[in-house]
Amino acid sequence: MASVYIPVQNSEEEVRVVLDQLPRDASDILDILKAEQAPLDLWLIIAREYFKQGKIEQFRQILEEGSSPEIDEYYADVRYERIAILNALGAYYSYLGKIETKHREKEEHFIMATQYYNKASRIDMHEPSTWVGKGQLLLAKGDLEQAFAAFKIVLDGDRDNIPALLGQACVQFSRVRYSDSLELYKLDPENVEALVALGILDLHTNEAAGIRGGMEKMQRAFEIYPYCAMALNYLANHFFFTGQHFLVEQLTETALAVSNHGPTKAHSYYNLARSYQSKGDYEKAGLYYMASVKESNKPQEFVLPYYGLGQVQLKLGDFKSSLSNFEKVLEVYPENCETMKAIGYIYVQLGQTEKAQEFLKKATKIDPRDAQAFLDLGELLISTDSGAALEAFKTARGLLDKGREEVPTELLNNIGVLHFERGEFELAERTFVEALGDGIWHTLTDGKAQPYPIDASASIHQYKDMQLFHRLEEEGFAVEVPWNKISILFNLARLFEQSHNIEMASILYRLILFKYPDYIDAYLRLAAIAKDRNNIQISIELIADALKVDDKCPNALLMLGDLELKNDDWVKAKDTFKAAKDSSDRKDSYATLCLGNWNYFAAVRSEKRAPKLEATHLEKAKELYTKVLFDHNANLYAANGAGVVLAEKGHFDVSKDLFTQVQEAASGSVFVQMPDVWINLAHVYFAQGNFPLAVKMYQNCLRKFYYSTDSQVLLYLARTHYEAEQWQDCKKTLLRAIHLAPSNYTLKFDAGVAMQKFSASTLQKQKRTVDEVNNCEPFPCSFLTFRVFSQLSAASNLQFHGFDEKKIDTHVNYCKHLLEAAKVHCEAAEREEQQNKQRIELARQVTLAEEARRKAEEQRKFQMERRKQEDELKQVRQQEEHLERIKEQWKSSTPASKRKDRSQYEDEEGGHSEKRRKKGGKRRKRDKGSKSRYETDEAEADIVDDQEEMEDEDANINYREPSNQMNNQEDEGEENAQDLLAAAGLEDSDAEDDMAAPSNPIRRRGAWSESDDDEPQQRQPQLSPNGDDSTEMQVSDGEVGGDDDRLNGDAAAADEDDD
Amino acid sequence: MKLAGLKSVDNAHDDSVWTATWVPATDERPALLLTGSLDETVRVWSPDELTNVATNTGHCLGVVSVAAHPSGVIAASASLDSFVRVFDVDHNNTIATLEAPPSEVWHMQFDPKGTTLAVAGGGSASVKLWDTAEWKLIASLSIPRPEGSKSSDKSGNKKFVLSVAWSPDGKRLACGSMDGTISVFDVSRAKFLHHLEGHFMPVRSLVYSPVDPKILFSASDDAHVHVYDAEGKSLINALSGHTSWVLSVDASPDGAAIATGSSDKSVKLWDLKMRTAVQTLSSHTDQVWAVAFRPPGGTGVRAGRLASVSDDKSISLYDYS
Repeated sequence: MASVYIPVQNSEEEVRVVLDQLPRDASDILDILKAEQAPLDLWLIIAREYFKQGKIEQFRQILEEGSSPEIDEYYADVRYERIAILNALGAYYSYLGKIETKHREKEEHFIMATQYYNKASRIDMHEPSTWVGKGQLLLAKGDLEQAFAAFKIVLDGDRDNIPALLGQACVQFSRVRYSDSLELYKLDPENVEALVALGILDLHTNEAAGIRGGMEKMQRAFEIYPYCAMALNYLANHFFFTGQHFLVEQLTETALAVSNHGPTKAHSYYNLARSYQSKGDYEKAGLYYMASVKESNKPQEFVLPYYGLGQVQLKLGDFKSSLSNFEKVLEVYPENCETMKAIGYIYVQLGQTEKAQEFLKKATKIDPRDAQAFLDLGELLISTDSGAALEAFKTARGLLDKGREEVPTELLNNIGVLHFERGEFELAERTFVEALGDGIWHTLTDGKAQPYPIDASASIHQYKDMQLFHRLEEEGFAVEVPWNKISILFNLARLFEQSHNIEMASILYRLILFKYPDYIDAYLRLAAIAKDRNNIQISIELIADALKVDDKCPNALLMLGDLELKNDDWVKAKDTFKAAKDSSDRKDSYATLCLGNWNYFAAVRSEKRAPKLEATHLEKAKELYTKVLFDHNANLYAANGAGVVLAEKGHFDVSKDLFTQVQEAASGSVFVQMPDVWINLAHVYFAQGNFPLAVKMYQNCLRKFYYSTDSQVLLYLARTHYEAEQWQDCKKTLLRAIHLAPSNYTLKFDAGVAMQKFSASTLQKQKRTVDEVNNCEPFPCSFLTFRVFSQLSAASNLQFHGFDEKKIDTHVNYCKHLLEAAKVHCEAAEREEQQNKQRIELARQVTLAEEARRKAEEQRKFQMERRKQEDELKQVRQQEEHLERIKEQWKSSTPASKRKDRSQYEDEEGGHSEKRRKKGGKRRKRDKGSKSRYETDEAEADIVDDQEEMEDEDANINYREPSNQMNNQEDEGEENAQDLLAAAGLEDSDAEDDMAAPSNPIRRRGAWSESDDDEPQQRQPQLSPNGDDSTEMQVSDGEVGGDDDRLNGDAAAADEDDD
Repeated sequence: MKLAGLKSVDNAHDDSVWTATWVPATDERPALLLTGSLDETVRVWSPDELTNVATNTGHCLGVVSVAAHPSGVIAASASLDSFVRVFDVDHNNTIATLEAPPSEVWHMQFDPKGTTLAVAGGGSASVKLWDTAEWKLIASLSIPRPEGSKSSDKSGNKKFVLSVAWSPDGKRLACGSMDGTISVFDVSRAKFLHHLEGHFMPVRSLVYSPVDPKILFSASDDAHVHVYDAEGKSLINALSGHTSWVLSVDASPDGAAIATGSSDKSVKLWDLKMRTAVQTLSSHTDQVWAVAFRPPGGTGVRAGRLASVSDDKSISLYDYS
């Protein structure tokens, strides 16, 4: 127990003051000191003790008292002690000034310090310690030159004054003149502090040799005095870097034991924590960092533990605390890149990407040469701003290149993918190739490897063929694919696929599979390629391979489901979709979408036409779409699907809004291709009777998405023209469609219907323009119609298009009828011609028509004969009936437009329609039993001899696919989107499918009917079984009669002309 | 090996141009270009200037195919109404009107000797051969149905024949169908030999290599061109690069290149040695329905010519060298 003895004045006694138990109030001690006129060195000792105990106030009080004028007077001859007291005060204020951050106070402290030193100097100009103090003060003020001068004065007096030398060394050190300062420090080889200082200096040289030297010095200092905490810390630090964690712990623990000094302890704790952190013991590391932080308590002084703590907390997942620690670091070093990156990372983890970006951007701005920061930034930006991400990646790559560092293949891969996504295929390819480096793929892609013929019958398996690689191996090539190149190879293959270098893509996919037969995506892509080429069988096989690897892979299952749909395996497809949905934890919205689509299909295709079933399916579809929308409110496909269901239910306005929004959204993105929404929108316009807009929509869609190759869309277009009564356009459109899909007889039939309608309507026109008459347009046209139907009739014998023979025959008959009408018409025109003999050009055309007529006659005769053989009796009876009714009609009816006729009929017969509908329903049921569903459709019409009606219905039957189609195409769109992400997807509808496409005209009509005035009227006739229904017949007669009336009109016109 | 644009005629027809072929040169005149269109006309064009020499009417529903006799004197045109009209090229006199109901008419080609006209018969699943002396139907080469398929099932119409090609020696005839199979016939025995598989979408155009009677090129809707050894029944190569249907393929007279026309609006020139597209021309604004190399021969005509026609109503002529 250290204590001092204050001698009592005028006696031999002494007052014992235990230093550990100094009174709180310094005045008590002061009183004793003053009273007993204690030597000044005791004052100093006591003050120093107060200082050690952190009782700064008392320390200052004693020293100030000790430097007061009375003391000066009393102890006038005790010079050295007085100077010491003043110097202590000076040093104290210099220290205060040094650590003070506020400028004004700092100045004040320095002024105080200066005053005390000056006072000390006045006592003795030459006292070295004063000069050392002054030097320190100047050093603290940053006035290096003057400090140097001050130290020099001391050294001039005493060359070996160690503090002065240290001070000078410090000056030199601050001036970054390490070698000079080294010289100065070298004077006292046994001085531990000097050794430590030297060691620090050596360490700061940042050179391997210097560091080694520094450590040696530290070690020596340690040997001389093993309890110097500073040396221990530095040694620990060193061993931390050399990885000797055991030593680190021992050293730091010793350091902790020997030192009470806060910052030093903080340093020790920090070392210990760091050691644990690097060993992976984050819990302990965290504790020691905490201890370290507690010791220093001010981030300004020792910030490293905050950083460490932040790191450990980050590691332990405590993002919030970690963030606050890093922020503290950033307060001290606002420009620290590492910290910013760490904070950026935390924000990423917290999902605040914007903030994360902000920090990373800042980091890259502060240090534009930090490749890692750019990399992180790039990765962060990928999902939000691919352009910026690409820039960041490119910068990172440039930096790495500059730094001669190896560019990681992942980075190149990312750059490549971004180029790819932006459609910059060439750049992407170059990047991928660079990332791949050298390998077997070079041999494959540069086209040097000779192709070898595959047996054509085996060629359907070309997407599973591995022979190529075996052959290459035989030829001595090493067919190797390093694991880290697979993704790049796959991406390159995707790129080839995207740029339609399908063959190369397939080779690369196969190469991947050759080496890594578990790479599911490659199977799926190959399957997708095969599917694109309509090679369904091999596609299914490939997916089966993929499922062998992982029978729960949702992508493979979804694709399989789609293929099954394509193969018309409805039930299987549903199961597959369900399995896919289950295997993805019901979270895969695509699977849900598929199921939604399936339900929609089911509603539309339903063989039994049960309205209940249909409604449930639709409802279910809607529910599924809505569910997807709920999860991902930006899912275009779900929105589209929901729109379809709404349209199906007749809510056109709502669905139109939906479609329009989807379309806008879709056209905003480069990656999303959604032709279906265009088509759906067009359908809605069509249903609302806005034909011009519908036409525009269809045409745009066709050009934009299908390279004008989709006959189905052409069919929609034709249907729109048809409804808009633009017969010529309708015909042309249908001809184009036929040209695109030659084997689709439905199109041919439709073309026939359109032409028939065209000629009939031309003949029906009350006032024909001279042009029309002159052109004799109706005649060749009806002749053609006749020919088309005759052809179809002939073809139907071959039974490959599924049309009902009788129905076609009916058309043939009607055409014959039209032909006759046209003949009369043309004769009239001819007469007119004869009167206008100057018009030679026109005459030529009539001759042409004549010739055509002659041919038609021949054709007709031929046809008649054939027909006679087929159903002579029935025909005769029918025609007789016809004639009779026509006669009746002549007597009673006045010419009226077709539409008017209709509505009259509707008014009169409205009451009957219900009954008829029932009948119709019954009949259908009966038909169904024996006939295929398609035939059922036809059956409804087959005996109908109302031509007009038939036509309408035919058109509807053959055009009714739009509603089906909606969904088919929707799937296709989905696939495009999915393609990018995964290899799964549904495919488009096949144009040929429409022959088989299960559908329900009635239902579709229901959907369109709301806005289409004509439809309800058309609907009932369609439903009616007729034959025994006399009103039905009447209508038909009305129609035919109408024609004849017009013929009469013609005759009248001709008569007039004659006059 | 390259193509250089020489001339382009916009609005050469009133509507989509669907087919084109070269009429070989005769003693009196150089080779002519024959085109057929949806506007129901067949037009004749002089080479290089592409001036319209004649416009033949008489077809209905759009002209889908034109074929020229090797003599250069007569030609045939076919339309969607299934009539084939054979006419005198220089005077437009109708020589014959051919029809073989219920067979439709798609692609046609005269055999190299000019004695037979082969017509792809669409849904009749056969190729009709017409004698060119008397214009009589001499044979109908039917594609045998694959075993086990019922005639009434919906896939029944898949053997719909779209395209035909004669081998340069006139011994073989290949035809392509909607389902992607190509059938090869021995003409002299009127016998079906074998199928060439690999395509699964319609094969709209076929052509034999003029230098190697074994090699057959096929263009399909699957965006690929296949190179087959039609005798050895093997697929030698598959050329990919078009982004949509390949509608037409023709082989250059030197046999070193082929040209293709596609729905992707482009014309591509393929180097057969390199097995890649060496050139892609995009002068058309709509699908390119036909490409045709001018056959060699005629007075002072050495330069190679390629013509292409398109839905955009235009004709383009290129110099091939």
